[in-house]
Amino acid sequence: MDLIDLSKIPDADDRFLRFLDDLCQTLEFDHASYATLNPVSGTVQGFANYRSDWVDHYTRKALHRIDPTLHFGRKSIAPVDWGRLERTAHFHSVFNDAPQFGMSDQGLTVPVRGPYGDFGLLSVTRDCPKHEWQSLKKKVMGNLQVAAVHMHDNIMQSDLGIATLHRPALSTREREILQWVAEGKSQQDIGDILSISHRTVEVHLRSGRSKLGALTTAQAVGRAISLGLVKPG
Amino acid sequence: MIIVTDALNRERHTDIIDEMYRLRARVFQGRLGWDVKVTDGREFDEFDALDPVYIIALDESGHVVGCMRLLQTTGPHMLSDVFHEILDGEPPLRSAQVWEATRFCVDTERLSRSGRASNSISYVTSEVMIAAFEYGQESGILDAVAVIDPVMNRVMIRSGNAPYDYLGTAKPMGKVTAMAALMDCSEERVARIREFSGITHDVFTPEHVVRAVFEAAHAPTTHDHLPEALKSYLDEQIAAAGTADELRDAKALAATLATRFSREEDQRYQSVH
Repeated sequence: MDLIDLSKIPDADDRFLRFLDDLCQTLEFDHASYATLNPVSGTVQGFANYRSDWVDHYTRKALHRIDPTLHFGRKSIAPVDWGRLERTAHFHSVFNDAPQFGMSDQGLTVPVRGPYGDFGLLSVTRDCPKHEWQSLKKKVMGNLQVAAVHMHDNIMQSDLGIATLHRPALSTREREILQWVAEGKSQQDIGDILSISHRTVEVHLRSGRSKLGALTTAQAVGRAISLGLVKPG
Repeated sequence: MIIVTDALNRERHTDIIDEMYRLRARVFQGRLGWDVKVTDGREFDEFDALDPVYIIALDESGHVVGCMRLLQTTGPHMLSDVFHEILDGEPPLRSAQVWEATRFCVDTERLSRSGRASNSISYVTSEVMIAAFEYGQESGILDAVAVIDPVMNRVMIRSGNAPYDYLGTAKPMGKVTAMAALMDCSEERVARIREFSGITHDVFTPEHVVRAVFEAAHAPTTHDHLPEALKSYLDEQIAAAGTADELRDAKALAATLATRFSREEDQRYQSVH
């Protein structure tokens, strides 16, 4: 997936918005937003590339207090299609006026749970016929999950300022596999060397990428080397 | 038939979830002897407070016969917090596209009793697994790591659903061992399980249908005034019903006896004997 690697872009606020723009373009959505509740202050912190008049309207009416995409989204472990929320108490109060701000009520929210009880919500929308929406979801759901965790982890680390203290807990297997990748071996080769299936190599690589906050294996290897977890090949 | 519950629909199905907690107590404390906390005959822990997803299987007569609990691996889950022994001290997997499956069990007592293909242990195991994988696929999940016992492991291997690998090593956990199995959430795996089990239909049953079947099975009985021996016989027949037909017959018998055997006759019966 060709999404911007958040840790490579210095300017704090802007980089998250650029990530959302990039996500919309790559995964074919109209709009995207990210929200997290600060457990200490209780405030909702977020970024969105919605039209500014919708953001004004949403903020002025304090819709985040009743928005079911936030309140039900955070309690789910699976992505929540907003269609499931249509019959909840406040759905229509939030979305009735949305069309006049160019905002679709066809969307979904990907919940992310972090290791410290933290959570984030990545939401995307697209105004299109139902069948198109269904096939789009099928096509991009996996990438959306990865993007949501990537964005959440980066925001948590920037917010809490623990990025420098944070040493990823790679397992022996994950480190070993990244080491072989650094030495130029293919996934197939690594499976043969370690006598494990291709799928096992893959699942450890995905986990290693997630722990290192990397979107690609190449980035993960680079970061593991810079942290001294893996030796240069 | 399968129902999926989460924080969004849980309020409508608290009774089904309660029956699932009781099944888990019988299996994990009773049969497997794991060190789990059971309160009032129900097993639940701190991970049940994290709004997990439950995949719940009911038999045709409306009883909960199988279940599984799903959590993300990016946040708190059992392999990171409780079952780390299994991983030999290694940190757990963490991935947006891997979910953890725990408390996976079926009601072997009830299922082996009925002897019908659609009520067999491997049928219900397959049904729960198909539901979990299809639900995961829809959410963009690629793999699942499942904490299981060796018997469940053997059932899965026999059912076209063998794990492709294991993490760490099997560890003693009560009367049996526990292990962390890896399974891909792929079309191929679902196709293999479907072929083995002969399940071709959509396993997800609409909520209102599940509710109707569950409520029919748990409706209050009308034969409370009958003599104790007869009442408990009828209750056993109703509880043992394996299909909708058997349940209907058992309830009809109870209703007939209840009206024939009116309260006065009941009193006369008791005074004579």
